[in-house]
Amino acid sequence: MENAIQQVRSKKAAKIKNDRTFSERLFVIFIYAFSGLFALICFLPFWLVFINSFAAESAIKKYGYQLIPHDFTLYSYEFVMKGKQVASSYGVSMMVTIVGTVLALLITAMYAYVLAHPRVKYRNILSFLTYFTMIFGAGLVGFYILIANWLHLKDTMWALILPYLLNPFFAFIMVSFYRTLPYEINEAATVDGANELRTFFQIILPISKPVLATVALFYALQYWNDFFLALMFIDDYKLHPLQMMIRQLISNINISAYVGGSQTTYTQPLPTYGAQLATVCLTIGPIFLLYPFVQRFFVKGITIGALKG
Amino acid sequence: MGFIREIVRNRYLYVLALPGLLFLIVFAYVPMAGHLIAFKQYRLADGIWGSKWIGFDNFKFFFMGSDWYKVTFNTIFLNGLFIVCGLGIALLLAIFLSEIQNALYKKIAQSLIFMPYFISWLVVSMMVFAFLNMTDGILNRTLAANGLDPKNWYLMPSIWPAVLTIVYVWKFAGYYSIIFLAAIAGISGEYYESARIDGATRFQQIIHITLPLIRNVVIVLALLGVGRIFYGDFGMIYGIVGDTAPLYPTTDVIDTYSYRALRQLGDFGKSSAVIMYQSVMGLVTIIIFNALAKRIDNDASLF
Repeated sequence: MENAIQQVRSKKAAKIKNDRTFSERLFVIFIYAFSGLFALICFLPFWLVFINSFAAESAIKKYGYQLIPHDFTLYSYEFVMKGKQVASSYGVSMMVTIVGTVLALLITAMYAYVLAHPRVKYRNILSFLTYFTMIFGAGLVGFYILIANWLHLKDTMWALILPYLLNPFFAFIMVSFYRTLPYEINEAATVDGANELRTFFQIILPISKPVLATVALFYALQYWNDFFLALMFIDDYKLHPLQMMIRQLISNINISAYVGGSQTTYTQPLPTYGAQLATVCLTIGPIFLLYPFVQRFFVKGITIGALKG
Repeated sequence: MGFIREIVRNRYLYVLALPGLLFLIVFAYVPMAGHLIAFKQYRLADGIWGSKWIGFDNFKFFFMGSDWYKVTFNTIFLNGLFIVCGLGIALLLAIFLSEIQNALYKKIAQSLIFMPYFISWLVVSMMVFAFLNMTDGILNRTLAANGLDPKNWYLMPSIWPAVLTIVYVWKFAGYYSIIFLAAIAGISGEYYESARIDGATRFQQIIHITLPLIRNVVIVLALLGVGRIFYGDFGMIYGIVGDTAPLYPTTDVIDTYSYRALRQLGDFGKSSAVIMYQSVMGLVTIIIFNALAKRIDNDASLF
């Protein structure tokens, strides 16, 4: 009986699908066109940056940015790579991202676990202390004085790492994950004689891998893309991360001195645009090489964060 | 002595929390002392505690000029545009994407739309410059090719609210549409099936099923956005506009204004007063709008 009704229903549904009216079809076409167009607009700047990083400077000056350049050259990359700045900026960005992400992930995972632990009496106080920093900030001046005058971190790599070690929002994402774990795990571990430290590091952390990966990527992206801390606290070119290098290339008049390397033998005009484009490609390259992987975890993280699933 | 007993009993757990707690104290609570500078004549040599109290003089300076009105208006106006256009377009995209049957097309479109979310504001800034710069920008080249006069867009403040809004939508449409898509995916297929059997068109299904069922998600995101309306996105505005003074009339927000007061003018007192004003206004709006959001969705106050 159930089956029969089901069959009739799906037949009817199929019929309706076939009988799509003209306006229905138009609507579907519109939907495809709109999303396709929007996707193209999102992609276009990436394409222009990528493809024109292989164009000659003279061609950009003459024709502007091209969808497909007339001829390809690696000169912009050669120019940027020959200098010292890109290597040192890459080193700084890598170092800050790796050290920062590892430390931040560890601190956040440990802290969030305690916020989520039902046996901790003061967890609500801790949660409120954490939440309050999201709604009332210290502000720029106090923060600046702290880093520059009290901790004396100006022009050190720590100024780029320490301020982002615990993001309350990411901590709460982890809290909501830990809450889904059955408490029996802790009880079993306690019965087996493990203390809370062992339970956390040997049992909880390994089963938290998906959320750890997501939060790690959030942190890594934040460290990699940040320029605010460098803008505030780093004057020394040697400690400029990649983002600051891009900023200097956009605003700096004397790019050959900034990029560094051999100053004497230029057979071609200085690639002012080329250097920007090549540096941008080198900067966003790692993100998009890993894009399918990165995208999957971000979608997961955003969905958890938004819906607490 | 319940406190000590609790700490001792759960000592391992409190040890786990210690680095995070120390971080919050040092990097979030200690610098709150900086708000005191708003009431002081700050001198580096005297420090926060030693500098002279001057009451509300820093605030008077800020509020007597026209700057406070300008930056407050810009902050609220730009954020308002971002919330309305950002959420609006993202909602449209999410609904359209969810209607697309071809899985490959949908996946590719979604991946491309999400791409801008991953790049820094300075990379965005470089792209904006590539489109709008006077001599070699794509827009001016296109205008010239069609016999129109190129314009120096970086001297025209009036167009920048629109430029920034387009950039915002471009960067965040993918992000918000993921949230909306997740909400749409949570709607039971039975609603659509019965609607189809009753002969509803796709358009009618969107209007009468999808929209009402994800209405709360949209409202909550909007309320949370409004709660933070006094906070400009420093990275975005400073990354894109930077020190282009001609654009300040329409793009200078509270955050960029206080940054310049601090880093370029070295005026700690004025900068603190501006930030104090922002923090207090911000705290009030966040509490009000988070409470409203919480009435709609119990979990929403987390943000």
